[in-house]
Amino acid sequence: MYAVAMSDQQSGQPLYPSEAINPNELLVRIAENQDRMALAELFNLFGPRVKSMMLKLGTSDALAEDLVQETFLSVWRKAALFSSQRGAASTWIFTIARNLRIDQLRRQSNKPYDDLAEMDLASDMPIGSFLVEQSQVIDRVAAALKNLSPEQQEVVRLSFIHDLPHAEIAVRVGIPLGTVKSRLRLAYERLRPMLEDLQ
Amino acid sequence: MTVKHHPDISTLMAFSAGTLDEPYTTVIATHLAMSEQGREIMHRLNAIGGALLESEPEAEIKEGAVDRLLGSLTGEGVQPLPHREPASVPAPLRPYLPLGLEGVRWKWTGPGVAAADLAVGKDGKSRLMLMRVAGGRSVPEHSHGGQELTLILRGAYRDRFGVFEVGDISDHDEDVEHQPIAEPGEDCICLVAVNAPLSFRSRLVRALQPLFGL
Repeated sequence: MYAVAMSDQQSGQPLYPSEAINPNELLVRIAENQDRMALAELFNLFGPRVKSMMLKLGTSDALAEDLVQETFLSVWRKAALFSSQRGAASTWIFTIARNLRIDQLRRQSNKPYDDLAEMDLASDMPIGSFLVEQSQVIDRVAAALKNLSPEQQEVVRLSFIHDLPHAEIAVRVGIPLGTVKSRLRLAYERLRPMLEDLQ
Repeated sequence: MTVKHHPDISTLMAFSAGTLDEPYTTVIATHLAMSEQGREIMHRLNAIGGALLESEPEAEIKEGAVDRLLGSLTGEGVQPLPHREPASVPAPLRPYLPLGLEGVRWKWTGPGVAAADLAVGKDGKSRLMLMRVAGGRSVPEHSHGGQELTLILRGAYRDRFGVFEVGDISDHDEDVEHQPIAEPGEDCICLVAVNAPLSFRSRLVRALQPLFGL
């Protein structure tokens, strides 16, 4: 398991190849104009990565494809919710994919994550007022993640990507539960300066 | 309300990763509904997932997947923002308490102490319950076989870690012993997630435990 967790550290192609397509702008175009081409672009950017995450949960290729479809249907329906939230498009898409896999794979009986997403809606913030910098913040978080110690990276990835509860991480890695938690706390302390730049 | 006691950051990370059992998820979600600062921290933690998603390798997507996606949008508009009525029970807890806190059917579990199990899906090994402790009364001293999350919904209690008021959460691992005492005045009502039976110090309480369903 250690080897598996380590081997998926190599990252894919850079997300924004030549001229920068800003995924936050794509989301705003969907929310404001129901722009289908913007959705297609967003799918091309993130679809393959969302599928890669889903496959790591041990789902079949067909189910992973379906979950990717569901994720982007949700992105389409909920785009208005994003525009009044803050942060980077990738963060928002991660949370949508996460909620979906909880609903579909674990069949939890309620939707606490949706309830919370709706809670921060109060704002009169004009759409698009928070754009560009947030994806740069995410880039810095990604760089900081790669600079964590291998032990810290391992527990973070097993938790966020492989969807393992802390107790199962302890068994897989062969360390006490308390050590899993303390490694996560240390990882958070290392990431904190970058995370605090988020709006 | 100003929340003073927050969950352990590793618990919040598990919530953000989506790996907590239903009872723990519900306690954390309810706490976040009551704590703006907590939501702020959660907002940041989610960016860890966002950054990891950006660093994922690209899996091969089936040909025509984009067309399939665009094809299924037919007649499907972007949803308008939802509007929710404010209610006495925070939103994440409402599905478990259709009648609110007033409609709870309490079970006597000791002098001044009552509890009620809330219905969660069967697959988990942990429990979600409400505890009600009369003002000035105490829960017998106990430790936990696993993690115990306690969120104050009403009133307040005090133990060796301080005073816990509405919105505060206590996040204890196994081997922590404590004896909460409700502050004088109104009943203290808590939402609790536990994944193992509590272990009481007193042999008498331990003997009675099965009777009281603790």
